[in-house]
Amino acid sequence: MLFKSDRAKCDTRLIENSDATPGVPQKSLIKRAAVALALTLSLSALAPISESFAAEHIIQLTAEETQDDGFGNKLLAYKMLSHRIDGLDITSRYSSEATIPGPTIELTEGDKVKISIENAISGNDIPVPGISKQVSIHVHGVHYDILSDGTLKVINKNFDEGAGAGLEETYVIYEYQWNVAPGTAGTWPYHDHNFETHNGAEHKGLFGAIIVNPVGVPSYDKEYVLYLGDDAFWGMEINGVSKIQSNHGVNPTLVATKNSNVRFHLIALGTDIHTFELKGYQWVDPGTANRINQVAIGPLEKHVFSVTAKNSTRYQDNNFSNRLLGMEGKFLVQ
Amino acid sequence: MLSLRESVTIIVFAVITLLISPFALAATTHNVTLTAETLPNGQVGYAMAGNQAVIPGPALFVKEGDTVHVSLTNNTSIKVGFKVPGLAQSGSRKINPGKTESYRIKANKAGSFVYHGDSNGKELLGLFGAIIVDKAHGPIDSYVDGDGSTIPVKANDIDKHFVLFMVGSTFWGTEIIPSGAQQKPLWANPNPGAVENDIVRFHILSIGPGHTFHLHAHRWLKTGTSEVIDTKLLEEGIDTHSFTVKAGTGVGPGNWQYHCHLIAHMEAGMHGSFIVDPVGGDGASVVGASPYGNILLGTKPNEPGVVTFEVSDEPASWFRSARGDAIVELSKPSAAGSPLQGADIKTRSLEVIYPGSSVNFIMSDTNGVHTISSLLWPTGAQHMPFDQTSAYRGGGFVTLHTPGLYVFTCKVHPFMFAAVIVDDPSTNDGLDLGNPQSNHTIDLVTGIKNLPTSSDLAVRLLKTFFIATAPDNWQDYSSGQWNVKYPNLPLITSGGVVNLSALLNVNEALSAGTVPQKRGVGEVWVNTQFEKTAGKYKPGTTTVVDTANWTVKRKVALPQINNNNPHNMWSNRDQSVIYQTQWFDNKLSMIDRESGKLLKNITVGYSPSHVMTLPTNDNITIAINGENGIYMIPAGKTKVEKMMPTQAHGHISANPHGHWISADGSKIVTPNINTHDIGIYGTNGGIEARTPTGNNAPGAHPIAIGMMPDSSKIYAANLLHHTLSVLDGSTGTLLKTIELIKDYDPLTGSIVDKDDNGVEAIGILPIQSPVSPDGKAVVIASMGGQIVIIDTATDKIVKSLPCDPGCHGANFGAKEGGGYYAYVTTKFGNRLTVVDIDPNGDGEISDAAIAGYISLVDTHSTAKDDMVSGLPGFGGQGVLAVPNVYNGWVQNLPAHWKEGLTTAQQNPIGD
Repeated sequence: MLFKSDRAKCDTRLIENSDATPGVPQKSLIKRAAVALALTLSLSALAPISESFAAEHIIQLTAEETQDDGFGNKLLAYKMLSHRIDGLDITSRYSSEATIPGPTIELTEGDKVKISIENAISGNDIPVPGISKQVSIHVHGVHYDILSDGTLKVINKNFDEGAGAGLEETYVIYEYQWNVAPGTAGTWPYHDHNFETHNGAEHKGLFGAIIVNPVGVPSYDKEYVLYLGDDAFWGMEINGVSKIQSNHGVNPTLVATKNSNVRFHLIALGTDIHTFELKGYQWVDPGTANRINQVAIGPLEKHVFSVTAKNSTRYQDNNFSNRLLGMEGKFLVQ
Repeated sequence: MLSLRESVTIIVFAVITLLISPFALAATTHNVTLTAETLPNGQVGYAMAGNQAVIPGPALFVKEGDTVHVSLTNNTSIKVGFKVPGLAQSGSRKINPGKTESYRIKANKAGSFVYHGDSNGKELLGLFGAIIVDKAHGPIDSYVDGDGSTIPVKANDIDKHFVLFMVGSTFWGTEIIPSGAQQKPLWANPNPGAVENDIVRFHILSIGPGHTFHLHAHRWLKTGTSEVIDTKLLEEGIDTHSFTVKAGTGVGPGNWQYHCHLIAHMEAGMHGSFIVDPVGGDGASVVGASPYGNILLGTKPNEPGVVTFEVSDEPASWFRSARGDAIVELSKPSAAGSPLQGADIKTRSLEVIYPGSSVNFIMSDTNGVHTISSLLWPTGAQHMPFDQTSAYRGGGFVTLHTPGLYVFTCKVHPFMFAAVIVDDPSTNDGLDLGNPQSNHTIDLVTGIKNLPTSSDLAVRLLKTFFIATAPDNWQDYSSGQWNVKYPNLPLITSGGVVNLSALLNVNEALSAGTVPQKRGVGEVWVNTQFEKTAGKYKPGTTTVVDTANWTVKRKVALPQINNNNPHNMWSNRDQSVIYQTQWFDNKLSMIDRESGKLLKNITVGYSPSHVMTLPTNDNITIAINGENGIYMIPAGKTKVEKMMPTQAHGHISANPHGHWISADGSKIVTPNINTHDIGIYGTNGGIEARTPTGNNAPGAHPIAIGMMPDSSKIYAANLLHHTLSVLDGSTGTLLKTIELIKDYDPLTGSIVDKDDNGVEAIGILPIQSPVSPDGKAVVIASMGGQIVIIDTATDKIVKSLPCDPGCHGANFGAKEGGGYYAYVTTKFGNRLTVVDIDPNGDGEISDAAIAGYISLVDTHSTAKDDMVSGLPGFGGQGVLAVPNVYNGWVQNLPAHWKEGLTTAQQNPIGD
């Protein structure tokens, strides 16, 4: 019944926030509480009875504008404010800055997550007709009820599920609950779905990933999370031992120790369809016994594989224009 | 790796398969009788014998080993076939209208397959359906349950099937309840419904450009693997993906969005919701917009309707209503008995629907990339502006609720127009151009709000639409007559009911005018981008004018490569090779100048617009208008070396159009149509400046650049802002914005000298704006039908000269004996206008005048590689004079070309 009490608390906070914002219909908030209760009960009924390894994550993210490109054009980025696992604060694993890509959140099947979003984009609380100022977190892969979809009310028919002034409602903080249920293992993107329109700003920097490991998964010396955008890779890496996240940015150089086991997490974004290649390497196509040396990947698909680092090479996208734009990076084995 | 249990299971299944294999011989033969039909909105679709035609076509469910025998009768007016890629098929003939043909398909493997009409792109209008081949025995699929277990599914476990075709940027759906009697068409972007815990099988199929399918909060198995996914790529061409879910498992009821996850397709409206009702609900699907629904001449006015525009490379019909040909015929004065008789619409790009119906776009007849972007809409309309962040291949879908006129364009090719009138059924006097609730006004994407539909500007926009989209209304100088007929329809405007035809029709004699008295030097190459020839399907030729006698010397059509909309040219140093872009394609052609023969056709990025060489090393630079950079080809090479980005990583694509290069070869300057700024880039890479234009008005749309011969200033024409931006050539700082319609009153249309520059002059929709090689004048070709001359000494307008409709390109060439001609092209006329910027040669340009005109229609003495078959000499856009006399380039000419030039022309700005 954990969900129920927290959902109620969450609602209380939302009402408090909403009181400061005239024009939010009280009716919808009452409706929200009722829907929340009904959904919570149905979810609890589905939840597995025994979860000996389950951990509870409390995560706070914010979204802000990045520095401009020198000519006034800005992107958006998520920042980790706080991540606690069963009370243990692991926030120091993450960059203290807002980053593109956003934080990679490591979870284990069976975990429960409460993740909230704040909005640090200036002017986000001033409603403008027809335009959403919200930022949200829409996650792929794991379980969540319709109140944690991270979409606007025009889509989910319940609420503008994000932080800031939405098309109809304004929230200072919005909290989502994820059930990292069995069967959700894998690497999944999360991204904004609410900025400006119901399509969100995943193509303007608001994206990150969750890695859901099965219980007892082998560890890797390094995890590389590479996003294939419309003109570049955006990447970051996680040290397999310290879990420190680093090396955020465009077409990053990935460094591995010779003969170490490293894992690549590919996620595509934007509009282009890509063909990824790690020159000279083969890997197992997930869910099969086939070995492949390249993979076609389209927006918001994921593809995860591990290799033993043997030789330095480069990773690249073979999409016609992206290849000519130099969409590639180094994989240095030392 | 397979677990022991799985391995054993597979072996057991293999043994069972062997045991039962004799049964496969007794496989079923399905006899299917189909017809191909034209639907009320002009789309085409398959019908199961005697039933209504549906999109997608009837879903066929068979077992592995079965045979499907299809008898197809073609009741449409196009050739139709039946093709099932991936399955063994005998019979593949396409059938003429009225005929019947048989096809035999062997379901030789399990899977989901597309059948389609194989109709040269027309199949994307609805001639597609699904054949689902299930394994003959045992489970046909598995789903992932809420507790993570994988549950095998047998055919009779399935509560509902949904077929969702991803075509363009629209989903077309069908619901199939196995126990139900009939398949239910869900039409466009529907909301399929189910009850929580229903076992639902989705069949996602695609034809045309690629997609990724994503369904919120559900996950499933990637076919043939144990990989759990929630997003699946459907690759370009034909692709399929079937999967099974337990509705709402682990997540509960809700309106769970499904959509294509390509951002451009999301922005183009490619989404719907999977409605999962709580247990006890009816799980009913909500049907989407139907081709039979509430549109002009629709047959089911109680259902939301949809009209469809094919996006095409075809001149004038760039947005061609699927029933455009039919409407033109039905509206002719001779169309006895037609409900539209006498309306004389002429355009194929106008549609009429009723509130709540939708507009669908499909890029089915184009090799380029495009956007579907609203240009104007009734004040206060929902879902406006409709736009996408980048150009793409696909389509678009938007539902319109507010009555009034909507005009859509492509940001990359801004003369492509579609107009949709949403007619208010409560007004009876005519079609509504604006919303009756808001005084019939419209809003423009450029920030103009509440413009009365009776204003001069609104009427001019309408005229532009009805000329651009109807070749019958173009100025054909070879016919000697200009007979413009606007539709004979009553329209409700802010000023009451008007009939455009009574207001605007023109019928007057046309004279091509005389050729210039003084000769030019060399040749003028004109991209007659709309001219059609017999040997190719795509439009466009290049017309070569001999300036010694002002005749059309050659037509270069390049039928062997189906040369598609040639748009802009440049030459190499020795003037032996012409480089030419194909703007609606992804090709750059290299042409031997003397013979007009193709040397090489090179694949480049999508919608390449302008091409120029670097004066320093003769390397080729190509602005990739549909993408995010400049392609570079080293001199003498025929392979692209690199793409230089026009924006920082991850930022919105700039989509550069008509770039220019500084005379010293150090800078490439681009008008960035998508980000409304001027970019200055180092030739060796690096962004030096990005300067917004348009004084903060939205959508200025800078489109072409001119530069001073000493590179001191940059001139950028802002198409939709009707201004010329003047920038510092080294820093990119904005120095001045010259308003080209200051003298114009958009309400009354009066033109008076409001900017006190001593001339009454306007330049509506300015496009190319080159600076004369001697740096004295900027000549601006304006689509509204004007040529505006700016004196670079004062940066003021000194003259306005008339131009034909669709005035577009301008470039300078040498005048014999000294001075320069500006050659000006027009899209909707078929003559070249020659402007002498300084007829008396006194160095003062206020006497700039039209020196003469040259017909661009071929004659018996014109050399040609293909026969002109239509739109003779039309579509004038890019223009290039040979020899190239711009400072920086002229100095590199071979001696024999320099001989024809004066000393001043050889060194236009001195030492």
